[in-house]
Amino acid sequence: MSERSPFRIALAALAWASMAFLVFPVILTAVVSLNDSFFIEFPPKAFSFRWYENIAAIHRIGEATLISLTIAVAAAALATVLALGAALAIARHPFPAKPAITAFLLSPVTLPMVAIGIALVQFFIAIDAAFTWWSLAAGHVVLVIAYPVRTLVASLTLSDTSLEDAARSLGASRWTAFRTVTLPQLKPGMVSGFLFAFLISFDNYPISVFLVRGDLTTMPIEVFNYISNNFDPTPAAFSTVYILVISVVIAAAEYRYRIMSLSIPRS
Amino acid sequence: MTATAPAVTPAAVRPRGGRWQRHAPAALLLAPLMAFMLIFYLIPIGQMVGESLTYWSGDAVEDKATPTLYQYEKTLESSRATGSIVRTFRISLLSVAICFLLSYPIALWLLFAGRKLRTGVLLVVFISLASSLIVRNYGWLVVLADGGPVNNLLIALGLTEFPLRLTYSEGAIITALVHYGMPFMILPIYGSLLRIPSSFWEASQSLGATSMRTLWRVILPLSMPGVFGGTMLVFAVSMSAFVTPLMLGSPSTAMVSQVAAEQLLVQLNFAWGSAIMTTLTVVTLAIVVLYALAVRKVFRVDV
Repeated sequence: MSERSPFRIALAALAWASMAFLVFPVILTAVVSLNDSFFIEFPPKAFSFRWYENIAAIHRIGEATLISLTIAVAAAALATVLALGAALAIARHPFPAKPAITAFLLSPVTLPMVAIGIALVQFFIAIDAAFTWWSLAAGHVVLVIAYPVRTLVASLTLSDTSLEDAARSLGASRWTAFRTVTLPQLKPGMVSGFLFAFLISFDNYPISVFLVRGDLTTMPIEVFNYISNNFDPTPAAFSTVYILVISVVIAAAEYRYRIMSLSIPRS
Repeated sequence: MTATAPAVTPAAVRPRGGRWQRHAPAALLLAPLMAFMLIFYLIPIGQMVGESLTYWSGDAVEDKATPTLYQYEKTLESSRATGSIVRTFRISLLSVAICFLLSYPIALWLLFAGRKLRTGVLLVVFISLASSLIVRNYGWLVVLADGGPVNNLLIALGLTEFPLRLTYSEGAIITALVHYGMPFMILPIYGSLLRIPSSFWEASQSLGATSMRTLWRVILPLSMPGVFGGTMLVFAVSMSAFVTPLMLGSPSTAMVSQVAAEQLLVQLNFAWGSAIMTTLTVVTLAIVVLYALAVRKVFRVDV
């Protein structure tokens, strides 16, 4: 099929239109964030950075972002460590009911998030541990666990077991062989699993909203509340900063670890 | 496998011991995560289902001893609850259909694109996957605002004299859900397209099929596992949507998660909220299972 066939031209046109739909809101938000007007207006009339200065006016945004960061790092780290063991079992060892156990570990993604939130808040109230940093972090591990499990199973499937066998036959202990041969091969899987777990946790609203109270709050909750109560373009400035930071992080991780190819499900 | 045995036999081919000995490494590796998921996932979900089977109606005496379907009867009798279930199902079906139509061309086009373009497009897809849902929904609030670009375009084209109220509607919810679902749809479809050998295209074309016919008769059926994965994920995400209808909908477009959350956070009626959420979970999983069976039967692929 040639480069210039009508089919290819039509396909490219459709794909570009869909891509425009995907990036349109982001570009618009950036444009609006630089407009001086208090109301959302397009096309913009006067340039101003004042909405960026106003980000600090979002209620408790500093504290909330800090809590979100600590929760996301803790949840992603614990999820990645726990998932490493499970992924080694799934990819390298035969055991009964493997498909069922794998499906169970991936199931939090398909379950309604509000159901997980409602279940967790009742559970934590029952054990008298509700509305604490620890219970919020534990809830976020459940939320993100599927991501490191998936990327680590993928990179273990791609990794070469004969290298580990070679190390063992040259006299390395089981642990040394794993640490020096297998673990480095798993780095991309661990990095992308951790990264997606971190980002999913950092952005979560539906589970967190049930598990926070009083001083305990998160970045998405405060931003959501600001959007609900104010109509000025401050969230547009915040969104633009957010997207820029995420873009740099994803591009850097892709450049360094090729995270994208691991995260494409190949069924 | 080569005929020469490696100097160290891997665990998997060791002489058979007892059942426990054979599965010990797997059990030890799995134990920490399984224990964690049991405590913080399985038990809470079980308790939620248990809570939904209690008789509690705010003023009546609590009676947790005998399980009752009272809360489920209440769900069926409440027009707000049943209405939200029907609405949620309708919104989800439309979102999946539109999302598929927008995503499949991108996935197919990625297959033919050059390396630089492909990396660029995939980066955009991954960035939108990783960027905040609240941020993306806010973007739609901006686009669809009274003074936003869509309204100004409509006025400039003379289609309307005054700005239309596009936000806080079912259409706005569907638009945002489609946008949210696109990365979840594009990636699995692209993944399954990658597995189709390019010779299949050539074979089909050399036998005289047009590109369109090749796509319809060869490529689409072979990419079915990815299509199933993507559509299933977007359906599940739409069925359980919560933040999106909160931001872009109105009280009259309430979806199931909102109705349940209201019961919990506002009315403090844990039993009924749990019953509504359990109903949604069961309905969603049942539809996904039926869908998987249908795909297996029609396309004879393993999903």
